[in-house]
Amino acid sequence: MVYCVGHSIISPLGDGSQANYEAVQAGRSGLKIHTDRFDSVEPFCASLFDTPQAFVPLCIRSVEEAITNNQSPITNSKDTIFILSTTKGDNLDLITPAKMIAHHFGNPNPPIVVSNACTSGVCAQITAMRLLEAGMYQHAVVVGCDIQTKFIVSGFQAFKALSPEPCLPFSPDRKGLNLGEAAATIVYSQLPMANSQQPLWTLEAGSIHNDANHISAPSRTGEGAYRCLMDVMEGLSPADIDLVGVHGTATLYNDDMERIALERAGLQDTPISALKPFFGHTMGAAGVLETILCAMQANEKMVNNKMVNCIKMLSGFGGVNAAIRIRV
Amino acid sequence: MEQLIEQLKSQIIDALNFEDMTPADIDTDAPLFGEGLGLDSIDALELIMLMDREYGIKLADPKAGKAIFQSVRTMAEYIQANRTK
Amino acid sequence: MKVVSEIEIRPTSVVLNGQPIAVETTGEKMLVELYRRYAGDYPKFFKMDTLSRLGFIAAEILLKEPRAKSQEPTAIILANRSASIKNDTDYLATISDGNYYPSPALFVYTLPNIVTGEIAIRHHIQGETSFYILDAPEQLEQILLSTMSNNLKPSNPQTILAGWCECTEPNNFYAKLQIIWNN
Repeated sequence: MVYCVGHSIISPLGDGSQANYEAVQAGRSGLKIHTDRFDSVEPFCASLFDTPQAFVPLCIRSVEEAITNNQSPITNSKDTIFILSTTKGDNLDLITPAKMIAHHFGNPNPPIVVSNACTSGVCAQITAMRLLEAGMYQHAVVVGCDIQTKFIVSGFQAFKALSPEPCLPFSPDRKGLNLGEAAATIVYSQLPMANSQQPLWTLEAGSIHNDANHISAPSRTGEGAYRCLMDVMEGLSPADIDLVGVHGTATLYNDDMERIALERAGLQDTPISALKPFFGHTMGAAGVLETILCAMQANEKMVNNKMVNCIKMLSGFGGVNAAIRIRV
Repeated sequence: MEQLIEQLKSQIIDALNFEDMTPADIDTDAPLFGEGLGLDSIDALELIMLMDREYGIKLADPKAGKAIFQSVRTMAEYIQANRTK
Repeated sequence: MKVVSEIEIRPTSVVLNGQPIAVETTGEKMLVELYRRYAGDYPKFFKMDTLSRLGFIAAEILLKEPRAKSQEPTAIILANRSASIKNDTDYLATISDGNYYPSPALFVYTLPNIVTGEIAIRHHIQGETSFYILDAPEQLEQILLSTMSNNLKPSNPQTILAGWCECTEPNNFYAKLQIIWNN
């Protein structure tokens, strides 16, 4: 178990976790139809920054916001590891931006980049938990970020995966996904932080499983996702889970796969949260951003200060699935 | 039509990276998916792109591909009727 | 952690547990030569990008080893420095100005972790698959140690197919894959 000691989200909906949470509560969405971006041959619906953002400065700003609560500087410590979650990084380069971010904060350790397709943001948190639990570091700064490019938009268009209108996760009328841009950061630590202004949580368990079925089509049995759910529920029953943050891309096959996995795990009656109608699919940022917002949503569910359990799950190309369980 | 079918077979072999296969190995009327050539969902998307690139046919709805991609013959017939180049 | 078996593949050489394997070709052609010798029954190989072919072949040879058979891996954890740059370059060519026909078959390989998925499918491994981008191969050891360290957790793998799998250009690649036991 490791402790979240700070977090931040920067998205087209606002700066800071609280601003983004309030935007979601108010039903605001960053999704818009774009006709003049990335030389796209057809209009597409996405959540994009009005002013195009450079990858590294955006990540740096996200980390700075996440550590404002901290009393002591941890980012430049040799006991802190930087972990970047991204799929396409800065113009297809993943390691250089990671080194630039760590270097900016004076961190002496070579950073780790997790590139596990759309599950990266959850996998990066699992990597952080393992390194901290093994005693290799005391703190981990997990940054998730992707910015959209002609490369990504054209690829998803060729895959016929994009919805021409705002996406509808788990709806019978869903037509596909929307892409999005964001940076989000979670700082994990071996020890809790006292007197935080933000809702915080503990990361209790994490699991990654491959469907071993197809490199792009989701499993028809939800096998990998189901195994992840069972792993993170180890020692608990479905009734102990208060909220599941689904991947909810709103493609026909992903949502159906998740439904099957949830039912197999006995979670069909558990409330779910699907955030892509607000942010689009923010790829490398998704797991980090959606974990933060699920924690804040779960925080609202607390009654009489009783802790609640929340699962965040993701799936991606390569047949990979990942899930974590947090206690808020 | 026969010429188009032969040309299409070569283009399919190229586009889908069928190693060691010649147009003569593809049965014009055999199913492309499932049994027969055993294509998958990515292959279907690649065939949609092939029709756009080589014949100027834009297929917006991938589900429409199901009827068109039954066999090389059905695909050639569709191309014959709808090609813009 | 104990390395049970190891393979190294370079464009001009293949070494399995310290013993060179004779090859007649080099570069990409050599990967096809190895495919025909060690697999041969998996036409999907020819749809893969070079990075996936490299990892696939390395795993194919390694997992046929008797030492690997005695305790099969339940997880695949690979890393490199350049992600999927060779295939990214190939995909970029399909979206260039004036010749814009984005290839779905190339796009799907513009993620480095696809190679872990290809190996998982081939060997029916439904455990963890992870891909890391690191500055140097030595960093992977720390990640593997932490992954295996808490063996009380049901999800922590006891046998991992792990290593470095890098391809920057069609004929410029390097793989060093190992089977690692947690004892």
